[in-house]
Amino acid sequence: MKLRLKGRGCSSGVVKGEAIVSERPFGFWQGIDPKTGFVIDQRHDLFGESITGKIFVFPYGRGSTGTPGIFIEAVRNHVAPAGIVNVHSEPMIIVCALLAEEFYGVKIPVVDGFELNHLKEIRTGDRVGINGESGEIEIL
Amino acid sequence: MDLTEEEKRILEGEEGEPKRISIRILKRIGEIKGADRFIPIASAHLVGCSYQIAGEAGIEIYKKLAEQGARVSVPTTLDPGSIDFERWREFKTPEEYAERQIIIGDLLEKMGVIPLWTCTPYYLLNVPLFGQDLAWSESSAVVFVNSVIGARTNRMSAYVDLCASILGKVPRFGLHLPEERRGEILVELDRELSDLFSDVHFPVLGYLIGQIAEDKIPVIAGIKKANFDQLKAFSAAAASTGSAALCHIVGITPEAPSSERAFSGRDPVKRIRVGINEMRKMMESMSTYDGGEVDVVGIGCPHASIDQIRRYAELLRGRKIKESVELWICTNEMVEKMARRMSYIDTIERAGGKMMVGTCLNDCPLSKWNFRYLVTDSGKFAYYTPTTVGTKCYFTTTKACIEAAIKGRIERE
Repeated sequence: MKLRLKGRGCSSGVVKGEAIVSERPFGFWQGIDPKTGFVIDQRHDLFGESITGKIFVFPYGRGSTGTPGIFIEAVRNHVAPAGIVNVHSEPMIIVCALLAEEFYGVKIPVVDGFELNHLKEIRTGDRVGINGESGEIEIL
Repeated sequence: MDLTEEEKRILEGEEGEPKRISIRILKRIGEIKGADRFIPIASAHLVGCSYQIAGEAGIEIYKKLAEQGARVSVPTTLDPGSIDFERWREFKTPEEYAERQIIIGDLLEKMGVIPLWTCTPYYLLNVPLFGQDLAWSESSAVVFVNSVIGARTNRMSAYVDLCASILGKVPRFGLHLPEERRGEILVELDRELSDLFSDVHFPVLGYLIGQIAEDKIPVIAGIKKANFDQLKAFSAAAASTGSAALCHIVGITPEAPSSERAFSGRDPVKRIRVGINEMRKMMESMSTYDGGEVDVVGIGCPHASIDQIRRYAELLRGRKIKESVELWICTNEMVEKMARRMSYIDTIERAGGKMMVGTCLNDCPLSKWNFRYLVTDSGKFAYYTPTTVGTKCYFTTTKACIEAAIKGRIERE
């Protein structure tokens, strides 16, 4: 294990996965295609990348409040991220995880409360473990 | 969170499954955000009602809640859907797609929502008062009701807005608390800009504010006067480029009679001056091509008011838009009905324009049109249509939009 950080757990679940990292805020509506899990926002630095099954690291949510609609459709289509790490999670990001569990029985841990500088330690492609209850993340 | 006896019973499921699910989700958000208790809301406005946003998952979720007997408990309006319910064939919407949207509408109507299908419910049928707590989602409307009316809502989002509407309550945190509504960043318009500030500047300033405010609450000084239509254009642009939910506009926002009052005695964490040059640069950056060809002109984002439709009709009276160009004006059913009675729509249709009702270019599937070049006067369309419609986009004034539809070309001024 290379690094361990302690934040705040926002939704239950413990997962390990490959990190996909952006330093820019992210909006899911018109941000991803909920059928494929690929980023479709041409203005975003992750344009063309897949977030499916990954630990998605970005500072905070932005844009349309349709976010949970797109996110839950992605969960239903099995193309959602496996976990989310934020500087601070907007309620609508946390809602995505709560709804996924309530309606589809899928646990997607969301962890926030980090400095942006700390999140820069995580690089796209790193293997990361996150715990949505304790708020811990580790780079493996 | 402290729960009342009634709330505890709801959490135990004694008032049915929809209320139990609703309070469970809202309580968890409240706990994470440090809420002390629930507060009653005066109204709700939902975004998860368009098929484009909700998808098949939305149909499954609404079906489950409707079968369990879910009912809204406060006046609740709907955002635009993904089809024009009357004329979806004219907009080349696939029949199977229209059917899915109609199912969502039927399920939500069973729960007692007001099917207004608009992003501007604050013009009619869902008009908040100063100081009221609300559960609203549509991001442009959230900025509007917080900033212009002084009502209090966090940026709710799809499904959780319905949870709040079913429960009739939200957890008390964020913008429901006066101390969380204080300004943080000061944006001062320089005098030259302040003197000539007019229609087109509102969406441009909103677009800029969304980018620079990040997640902070801006206080904007230097706007001398503004009307509903201008503030709606500002709100939509600010909500598109950033996550703004409240912008104090000094002299307009009820909580900001002065910038000192907007900051409640604290110093701004950042000061930014904006002049004509910054605005010009921002306006240029809102276009993704340099002008020339036009396939479609999209106006009425957020949904056009009756006065805007009057203006479009005046600009189009006795004229013809170019055959190769589509001119679409988005609004809601109530405004459309009134504008038709006042014969504005007759004028617009004679000129070759189309009304797009209860939906908009961002929500409606338009791939069959193969549009390449779109012209708009909306900061929100400018931001999203390159993705939603898949076009290049040119942002300009309302008048230039109409001229572009007539000439079939747009020239950079």
